[in-house]
Amino acid sequence: MPAELKYKAFLVDKKLIDADPHFVDGCASCHKGDEKGVSREKAHAGFVKRPSSDLKICGKCHDNVAKTYKDSLHFTTAGLRHGVSGRFSSKEQKIFDEKVFQKSCRSCHASCGDCHVMSPKIGGITTGFIKNHQFVKKDDGKTCAMCHGGRVYPEYTGDYGGSADVHYQKGMTCLDCHKKAEFHGTASVYKTKKEVKEKPSCTGCHKIGDEKTEKAKTSHAQHNNRVSCYACHSGGTYRNCYDCHLGKGATSKPGFILGLSPRDKKTVTTLRVIPTVRNTFKAAGIAMEKYDALPNYWDAATHNIKKRTERTRSCEICHVEKQDFLTKDKLLKNGSKANELLLYTPKPIK
Amino acid sequence: MKRGVLYCTIFVFISMLLIPFVSAARDIEPVVSTDWLAKNMNNPKLVIVDIRKVEDYKTGHIPGAVNVFFNTWAVMKTGLRNEIPPLDDLADIIGSAGISPDSLVVVVGDADLPPNRSGITRVAWTLRYAGIENVAVLDGGYDKWKSDKKPLSTDAVKPKQTKYQVKVNEAIFAKKGHVIGAIGKAVIVDARGADFYEGKQKLDFVAKAGRIKSAVNLPAMAAYNKDGTFKNRKELSDLAAKAVGTDTSKEIIVYCDTGRLCSVWVFIMSDVLGYKNVKSYDGSSEEWMKDPNAPTEP
Ligand code: HEC
Ligand code: HEC
Ligand code: HEC
Ligand code: HEC
Ligand code: HEC
Ligand code: HEC
Ligand code: HEC
Ligand code: HEC
Repeated sequence: MPAELKYKAFLVDKKLIDADPHFVDGCASCHKGDEKGVSREKAHAGFVKRPSSDLKICGKCHDNVAKTYKDSLHFTTAGLRHGVSGRFSSKEQKIFDEKVFQKSCRSCHASCGDCHVMSPKIGGITTGFIKNHQFVKKDDGKTCAMCHGGRVYPEYTGDYGGSADVHYQKGMTCLDCHKKAEFHGTASVYKTKKEVKEKPSCTGCHKIGDEKTEKAKTSHAQHNNRVSCYACHSGGTYRNCYDCHLGKGATSKPGFILGLSPRDKKTVTTLRVIPTVRNTFKAAGIAMEKYDALPNYWDAATHNIKKRTERTRSCEICHVEKQDFLTKDKLLKNGSKANELLLYTPKPIK
Repeated sequence: MKRGVLYCTIFVFISMLLIPFVSAARDIEPVVSTDWLAKNMNNPKLVIVDIRKVEDYKTGHIPGAVNVFFNTWAVMKTGLRNEIPPLDDLADIIGSAGISPDSLVVVVGDADLPPNRSGITRVAWTLRYAGIENVAVLDGGYDKWKSDKKPLSTDAVKPKQTKYQVKVNEAIFAKKGHVIGAIGKAVIVDARGADFYEGKQKLDFVAKAGRIKSAVNLPAMAAYNKDGTFKNRKELSDLAAKAVGTDTSKEIIVYCDTGRLCSVWVFIMSDVLGYKNVKSYDGSSEEWMKDPNAPTEP
């Protein structure tokens, strides 16, 4: 970033300092350091760059939020841990927690400030304050879009798959569906995103039976609880990551895969490849003794919804051509044995 | 740009006398200035379509403008980028923006970077393809509107939906087969930068470097001033004449990599300069270079 822009990106609005209750006790009340220090070195001694990582700082006045936030997935990132835990023996779990989780996973947790003060750092780079250090209620474009800019956001705007989600087309952004309670947490401690009760659902806004057209009504009635909304309304290819190795990352490719949801093994839905391979954690000395306990595909809540897709236009594409359905020969080579439980072959329409 | 407007006005007037078919239906200049738009904002037939991202639109936009992001107008189809959406979807998109066949549409976007600039003309061209006659682009885009200190709004506009029926204007659309047949007959224009035209550079998703056989080069960005406004009519007409000649009845086919950049010259040549047979080859290099039977150079 050029020096001038950098300075602008970190300029605190002077008016705020007088008017906003957050600044009454001075900068040091959150950032530490020495307010009386006259040189940069003295003033910044003990300076805390990311004060809100310590929940007590905001908790002083927002105790109600801080209390529940400590157990929310954005703070614990427990979902990342839980996503692979099933493959570890208990001994391996301990190594993972110590060597990998704290270093590699916890570092991407969200501080209060990441959603309310400053655009989060991605790969060490931030675009600066959301709005001159104001404590803003929300700005999805400068917060959510950054951390979720690898997969969800570009899929949603169509910059990845090539066509925008219908909700984006209609002017909706993340927080029109995802609500505060999902982020601040409730009293419950969640291990994975699937347990989060406050998460949105398609049928929360689109009731089955309320369709405007006969075509939609019958399709929905025939497939309710057997085929997910994504299977028909996901607008096209989405990002799949392959071959992750600790410290090296994964490679990504667009794809579209249909199979049974690993959650219930009976609903047909869109699947996303998980980049964990047999030697992902080799560098940390973890062999994953129970690698085959979890599949290499996970059900995908794709954010590329369209009213019409190849699959709402044609029944044959699934019932006759069986296009995009995972089959034994399409499975990842040397993948988990659990993958076979996800195979499904649709029957011809009677 | 005042002069430009004057030229345009005179031009439209003259061309109405000479070629009634092209311009008879036009009730709006193809390129409108921020001043014109500020004065005509309350025209009930006017629909301002802002194609920027939702987040940018919500931060500030031209009062009354509806937001329909670029990526809904140009989509991935049969493995190709920036294609026209299926016609039933296109009808929904136009209808949900509150556009009817007699609307005066002004397309607005950022005029800073090449993809943003050409996004504006690409949407304008798509609307012409869908059968809307009165389509204009805002000269200098949203950036100019803002720097001219015109009024801004943050209230999201919920347009009154219409039921729009697409009336396809095939005359401005060229398929690959047609382009192959047109080599040596029509003027084929490559609207990419010179390095791409000369085959020194290519985008990752384009199968090989080079150009369509017989193509001439007229880069899209040559049409703009530094601030994202269009060059004046004389400059544009000179550029076009140098590349394709002055015979306005000759067939002209413009292409680029995905069908986005080339929309700049398609729109200017046909809607501003009065060339009567200008087509966009929407498949462009992305499609052409995959086909071993499609002739290329160098
Ligand atoms: C000294 C007490 C205090 C501390 C410490 C504090 N806040 Fe606040 N905060 C307030 C008060 C009081 C309000 C209500 C302000 C209002 O309604 O104008 C508020 C409001 C907010 C709002 C809503 C702003 C809006 O536009 O309505 C956000 C977001 C917020 N605080 C975030 C934080 C975060 C994040 C931290 C920790 C970095 C924090 N606050 C620390 C006192 C505090
Ligand atoms: C600092 C980076 C960061 C920011 C900012 C951020 N997220 Fe996340 N988000 C994550 C990480 C990391 C996870 C994975 C947590 C896990 O599974 O343990 C996650 C998980 C999620 C989940 C699934 C888990 C759940 O709690 O339901 C949703 C939904 C989500 N984020 C949406 C959002 C939205 C919407 C915003 C903006 C308000 C946002 N995120 C801002 C990093 C971030
Ligand atoms: C992942 C994003 C995210 C994180 C992290 C986050 N919040 Fe929020 N916060 C939100 C959202 C979303 C809202 C609701 C905005 C709206 O709808 O107006 C909100 C609203 C608020 C408000 C406004 C008052 C209210 O309750 O609506 C305060 C105060 C607040 N948050 C404080 C905090 C504090 C303190 C923390 C850390 C303990 C925190 N937030 C962490 C997303 C987040
Ligand atoms: C209520 C707590 C609070 C107060 C008071 C406060 N800040 Fe901050 N500041 C934050 C938060 C939160 C962040 C974003 C980092 C994070 O997520 O914790 C931040 C970030 C910053 C950063 C960017 C740090 C970096 O390089 O990443 C600067 C600079 C900054 N503040 C300056 C100031 C100045 C100057 C003052 C006094 C005028 C001030 N802050 C007062 C909470 C506070
Ligand atoms: C139209 C409503 C809607 C909008 C808008 C939306 N989401 Fe979601 N999102 C959902 C639904 C529904 C789920 C699936 C919840 C479940 O697991 O059942 C979901 C799941 C997620 C997940 C967890 C699943 C995953 O793929 O990791 C993340 C993260 C997420 N959303 C982030 C975002 C972000 C960031 C935005 C804004 C760019 C956004 N969402 C916009 C409805 C929405
Ligand atoms: C927070 C509520 C909400 C959630 C959650 C939600 N939607 Fe929507 N959806 C809307 C709204 C509002 C519209 C726009 C309706 C309109 O303008 O006609 C819409 C539009 C649509 C449309 C286009 C309808 C049309 O007539 O053009 C489809 C298809 C759709 N949603 C499917 C889904 C699917 C699938 C999910 C789950 C991934 C989902 N929605 C989640 C609120 C929601
Ligand atoms: C077997 C395929 C299939 C599945 C599964 C499916 N849909 Fe649909 N959906 C359709 C078809 C077909 C249409 C009609 C499209 C058209 O108008 O061309 C439709 C239309 C819609 C519409 C548009 C509006 C309307 O009222 O006419 C919405 C919203 C929608 N679906 C939401 C959902 C949601 C939410 C789910 C999951 C609960 C879902 N669909 C599951 C095939 C499916
Ligand atoms: C996304 C793929 C997909 C599409 C598209 C699709 N179906 Fe299905 N359909 C399924 C699956 C999977 C089932 C579950 C039973 C099976 O395997 O046939 C199912 C079940 C059915 C059933 C119930 C059969 C039974 O045994 O009870 C009928 C009837 C049906 N579909 C008709 C249609 C019609 C008609 C269309 C076109 C409007 C259509 N389907 C489009 C995947 C699809």
